[in-house]
Amino acid sequence: MKEIAMTVIVNGDKHDLTVPPHETLIECLRDRLGLLGVKKSCDVQVCGTCTVLLDDRPVSACTVLAFEARGRSVRTIEGLARGDDLHPVQAAFVEHGALQCGFCTPGMIMATVALINENPRPTADEVKHYMRGNICRCTGYKRILEAILDASRRMSGASAGNGR
Amino acid sequence: MKVEREVTIAAPRETVWDFLWDVPRLAGCIPGARDVRTIEERKTYTAVVADKVGPFKVQFPLTIEVVDVQAPERLRVRANGRDTAVDGLVKVDLDVTVTPAETGTALKVAADISVLGKLGTLGHSVIVRKGTDIVDRFAQAVRAQLEAKA
Amino acid sequence: MLRPFELSEPTSVAEASELLARHGDAARIYAGGTELILAMKEGLVHYEHLVNVKTIPGLAGVRLDAGTLRLGAATSHRALERDPLVRQHFPAVARMEADVANVRVREVGTLGGNLCFAEPHADPGTLLQVFDATARIEKKGSARTIPLEGLFVGPFETCLEGDELLTEIVVPPLPSRSAAAYLKFGFLERPSVGVAVAVTLDDGHVADARIAVGCVGPVPRRMREAEAELRGKPRTETGAALATAGRIAGRAADAITDLHGSAEYKEHLVGVLLRRAWDQALAAIDGSPRR
Repeated sequence: MKEIAMTVIVNGDKHDLTVPPHETLIECLRDRLGLLGVKKSCDVQVCGTCTVLLDDRPVSACTVLAFEARGRSVRTIEGLARGDDLHPVQAAFVEHGALQCGFCTPGMIMATVALINENPRPTADEVKHYMRGNICRCTGYKRILEAILDASRRMSGASAGNGR
Repeated sequence: MKVEREVTIAAPRETVWDFLWDVPRLAGCIPGARDVRTIEERKTYTAVVADKVGPFKVQFPLTIEVVDVQAPERLRVRANGRDTAVDGLVKVDLDVTVTPAETGTALKVAADISVLGKLGTLGHSVIVRKGTDIVDRFAQAVRAQLEAKA
Repeated sequence: MLRPFELSEPTSVAEASELLARHGDAARIYAGGTELILAMKEGLVHYEHLVNVKTIPGLAGVRLDAGTLRLGAATSHRALERDPLVRQHFPAVARMEADVANVRVREVGTLGGNLCFAEPHADPGTLLQVFDATARIEKKGSARTIPLEGLFVGPFETCLEGDELLTEIVVPPLPSRSAAAYLKFGFLERPSVGVAVAVTLDDGHVADARIAVGCVGPVPRRMREAEAELRGKPRTETGAALATAGRIAGRAADAITDLHGSAEYKEHLVGVLLRRAWDQALAAIDGSPRR
């Protein structure tokens, strides 16, 4: 069975990998690259816990095949903070208490980053529509919504070229 | 899920009753059934039932036990099997009654079908339609067989 | 862990068709994989050979051709949701696409993949039928075009031959003074009932009514007997006709009792969604100044 040689940029780092076609992106990120922030939960692309960004677009790492990331860039929760400097979305989640067990949180935050990147000042309805595919069993979503709206406010107020 | 079908067959009751024990011919009326074997006459049989819906194929090796016989009017059978490839367990309780009718014999088939495991959950809607379809076709096939002879 | 398979990456429809012909039942088209990879992960099906169609140039994209929408089969739901041409000229289609599954499925999943997997609990196949959409199907050396309705043969089954690919979905515009609407209901991950309507008004009368029901029966389809109830009626006198049409469509939908609900419940919902979609379509016609 022919394996696929690929170059992929993950959280800003270039990796040269050889993967079999049947390897999923989550297996690649977790098992090859040790990025355990990408969580496997439902494994059927329904819950959103495994959300990662593929060229800034949110995808389910559990169901996307690893080779689809060739020549592209992947961003996981590990790629948001700069050292101890939290990404505004992470900071907003913490400040608003938008997590309890934390298991859905990496996926929630990655989806939020993708949303704000695409729509810098979403309305509450737009947030709810976009985030519909990210499920949380703990918080009841209210604080997650507040954190997202707050993060978008902060980020659009930040200087241009912040590029986060 | 429970499925019930009744057909009226233009044949005498004894003929219909005897047909139920003609295992190879009866099995021929079940869509997808093959490799029917007698383990113990009138008691235990095995068969393989295969079917597909679009690209999804299932194959159930079944053990069929005759649970209760009230000749010549009622027969209860239980079939059990586990699909070899997909995680799925099938259990069918069949209650067959054979009663005289004006134009021949009324054959009533009442099936209680359970599919457990992943197949049962993911394939639930499909199984409901298939189960109904299979019982339908079985009843029609039995009638066709018996009326062709007569 | 998925079972291993070989991957081919053809760069033309002819090449893809040849690969399908060569490998037969062991091969399957792979686009977004949002249905296929799921089924393979669950162990419900396995293909030794996947044919990637994302490497075929021109298979994805949106074009507006003299008012007719031409959608490449490998266009993602998200691309359709966001496309300015779709949003402006076929707003009901853009709205339907925006509500498919979740944003991650929409980013990766394709319209063609959705239609060809023919999962009954889906959306696009239902709405596109009220536009009288057609499907272009190609294989090496030939092509054919069929009404979209003809694509669906049964649950998870299309009319595609083993070596054929769906390449394009063509959506003609509705006449002036028309609008379409699609509503769905569900509490599981996939919709349980989906109803699409397209209404054309002419001088206060219903010049045309098109109704499609999906998710309920084994395939999405048009409900022509129900449509006849509404055609010709004055728009202010459609109350009783809508109720009748709802009942006809509900019965014709071939509902079964399963995890999505009882057959009676689904039949009832067909009537409810039909009425609401109808009202939505009329409001869209009224609210649109140019039409």
